Amino acid sequence: MKSSIKGLLFMISIAAVLVLAACGNNNDDEPADDSGENLSPEETDELVVYSARNERFVQELLDKFTEDTGIQVSALHGADPLQIEAEANNVQADIFISNDLGALGYLHGEGYLEGSDPEGIETIDEQFRSDDNAYFAISARTRGFIYNKDLVSEDEVPQSMEDLFDAEWADLPNGYAITRGGNGGMIGNVSALRHEWGDERTADWIRAIQEHAAGIYEGHGDIRRAVGAGEHAFGLVNNYYYHQQLLEPSDNNVGFIYPDQEDDEMGAIANAAGIGNVAGGPNEQNAITFIEWLLEPENQVEFVGESLELLINSDIEVDYPEEVEEHVVNFEDLKIQDMSITDLGDHFEDTKDLIEESGLDLELR
Amino acid sequence: MRNRKQDKEMKRNENKAGGFLPQPVLSLFRKSWRSTWRGNPPGAVLLIIGFIVAVIMAIPIVYVVFQSMFAGADQWLRLLDDRIPELLWNTLSLTVVVTLFSVVIGVSLAWFIVRTDLPGGKVWRWLLALPLVIPPYVGAVTYIIVLGPSGWVRDLWESIGFLGEYNLNIYSFWGVAFVLIMFTYPYVYLIASASLRRMNRNYEEVARSQNMSTGRIFWKINLPFLRPAIGAGAILIALYVLSDFGAIAMMRYVTFTAAIYFQTASFDTEAAAVLSLVLIVVTVLILWIEGYTKKKSDYHQTSNTFKAPIQLSLGKWKPLVLSFVIIVFLLSVLIPIVVLIYWSVIGVQMGALDSRFFEFVWNSFRLSGTAALLCMVLAVPIVYLKTRYPSFISNGIDRLSYAGYALPGVIVALGFVFIFNNHLPALYNTFYVVAIAFVVRFLPQAMQSTTASLSLVSPRVDEAARSLGYPPWKVLMKVIIPTILPGVLAGGALVFVSAIKELPATLMLRPPGFDTLAVRVYFEATEGIYHLAAPAALLIIFVSILPLQILLRRY
Repeated sequence: MKSSIKGLLFMISIAAVLVLAACGNNNDDEPADDSGENLSPEETDELVVYSARNERFVQELLDKFTEDTGIQVSALHGADPLQIEAEANNVQADIFISNDLGALGYLHGEGYLEGSDPEGIETIDEQFRSDDNAYFAISARTRGFIYNKDLVSEDEVPQSMEDLFDAEWADLPNGYAITRGGNGGMIGNVSALRHEWGDERTADWIRAIQEHAAGIYEGHGDIRRAVGAGEHAFGLVNNYYYHQQLLEPSDNNVGFIYPDQEDDEMGAIANAAGIGNVAGGPNEQNAITFIEWLLEPENQVEFVGESLELLINSDIEVDYPEEVEEHVVNFEDLKIQDMSITDLGDHFEDTKDLIEESGLDLELR
Repeated sequence: MRNRKQDKEMKRNENKAGGFLPQPVLSLFRKSWRSTWRGNPPGAVLLIIGFIVAVIMAIPIVYVVFQSMFAGADQWLRLLDDRIPELLWNTLSLTVVVTLFSVVIGVSLAWFIVRTDLPGGKVWRWLLALPLVIPPYVGAVTYIIVLGPSGWVRDLWESIGFLGEYNLNIYSFWGVAFVLIMFTYPYVYLIASASLRRMNRNYEEVARSQNMSTGRIFWKINLPFLRPAIGAGAILIALYVLSDFGAIAMMRYVTFTAAIYFQTASFDTEAAAVLSLVLIVVTVLILWIEGYTKKKSDYHQTSNTFKAPIQLSLGKWKPLVLSFVIIVFLLSVLIPIVVLIYWSVIGVQMGALDSRFFEFVWNSFRLSGTAALLCMVLAVPIVYLKTRYPSFISNGIDRLSYAGYALPGVIVALGFVFIFNNHLPALYNTFYVVAIAFVVRFLPQAMQSTTASLSLVSPRVDEAARSLGYPPWKVLMKVIIPTILPGVLAGGALVFVSAIKELPATLMLRPPGFDTLAVRVYFEATEGIYHLAAPAALLIIFVSILPLQILLRRY
């Protein structure tokens, strides 16, 4: 009897040694380990960032933050906003970076983000932040059509969202391209149309583009490359993808249409990229430090980085490459659809359902 | 000593049994307990370890099944309506095509190399097994680089000029199928080669004396004998296609596994659980079909008159067969490696081997090392329990240990996301969750290798140690483990390599900021940043080559 207990103890101690050995190895770079311990917020030197934005743009920003403040950042790139929701009882992230203000609005509406009063928040127009500053936008983008100038001329491509109801666009050389339904830009686009047209007409519109599009892609980067290479005549993208394509060494003979600019039209659909402060995150103090750091003008510029988006605050100078500079249209100079960007969140969940029910899959299949 | 005490008590009870039983229920339980173990129950330590492992192995799957049951009727209806039929078609058509072609290529290669006078026979034996070390998602990257819409072949095509537009679409059914075939055929090839080498010449000589042609002998004699080998290889490939995430996702194809991954990544866990249940059923069906057909056809060879098979002369077919073998080698080994070296050189020149890269290397090695160590430690007691104390309990534990191996990694990972996020929050998003998931996935690899070693140690050795007063666990520690250590280590090496290559479970379970080499290959390649993907991929391949010897010896 005694010896079998001894044996059990022996086995347990082996297991314990193994676990400890592994522990010793990774205490220094394992942020989530600390979440259960009672460290006061000031004592951590870490920050956990979930990001839905392209890794290339965000990682440079985060590296600069670490360099400036000494706070180590653990980033999960390609995170979905619903991961914040799924982890609500077990909060992992301090900051959520999103390409879709609708997603941030949704999270805020559900109570997963918390407000603060960070220094420098006045640089962001009130229209682009929540009342309690739990989330705010840094950079803006508008939806529109990138087209290949070798294949079609400016007046041969659609000039409004409404135009896409028409089947004729499928007949352009190589047709046109859209993203999958679950893409953040597409969701925002559809939310805006629902606001403008109501659900029924919007559903018809989704069905129309799903049926007529020659290609459905994972993301906008694929579309701009495909249009640039002449695989499609035009594609529905955000305007900064046009800027990115202009920078390509080849396949860069592309143009861009800002749709719905006439007086009787609704205006271009806008969305924004921004950040949210996750409620109950493990490193609350560092989250505030990050927010205030990000609001400094030079870091707002860094947020835009290689994405070539436009800053919400156009007083801050962004140095665009010269190939792009002449094609940049300032946000104020556009007619923008009147839906408040912060309203997008109220539509977020329903919009995804509507897109799926109308036959455009959220994920590629 | 509990066992001895039990024995004594048992004897006392039995002595009294002629009159009356003082504790009839307890005694009955003891008796049935002893008869379960055929009079030789193992110690408590072994059993407890066995039970813990069995529970860990079973939990994720039970949880996924449970979740899908409670997904609600409308969720099921919505998916059954069009999603599931389409996924079923995508998945099954790909599985059938890849399995079929892999079997044909694998068996024909095995035949040419084992049975014919192909020039350079021995060397080919090794070279053709090499695709095993190239993970299919790495293979997919290389073929996107070569055949993709802006790949090398397009550039070549357009530079020639008069060929017209380049419209080979690698992102298609046949693109995916091609990549999977090229990197899975070695499973069939290796098993078929081993089987061919063991084939007795006598049967063929009888057939030849009846004036049968070589072709007829192949169909009438060789193929039936190869049937179990082909079945085993085909099942491995079919299960692989069902579970592959990386190659399929990179080629923008969607099967059940990819769909489950994407649903989980957007935290639609209910839908993911529903799809997982369907995939579990498909997997079990395939395993069942294999078991059923195996039972129906039983082939035996007598071993006492064994004569090694003769070598056939290829004659005028030699150039044709040789070019077939060379082409397969080119496509499945040489081209991918050349592409990776080319981009790695560019990468190194552009500074890809920075501190970030070495952090990924360290993460990969730490994770795989922990998984390998855990698997070795856990495999020994379970295998010992199964081989030395056979009963339905130890067999059940053994069977359960294979569950995570047969099922796709995404299902195991999905179960872990559920469990750790909801019930074990302290461990959620830590490195340990990934390591434990790897144990669930790869423990059987360590078990197979350990079993092979243990079967060479006579039970008499154990009995001798027991008779000198050691309890079972001590016999294991002092006598058995030192003897079977090489086999255990070999198993650990296999687990290490599988863990280094693993993609979907790592993607789904890794904590923020914890990227491995495999994860980086996936992300960089999907972004088209090949100079960063190639060095990591090459390192994975290099590490995988090391234990290839162990793998080859098994067949």
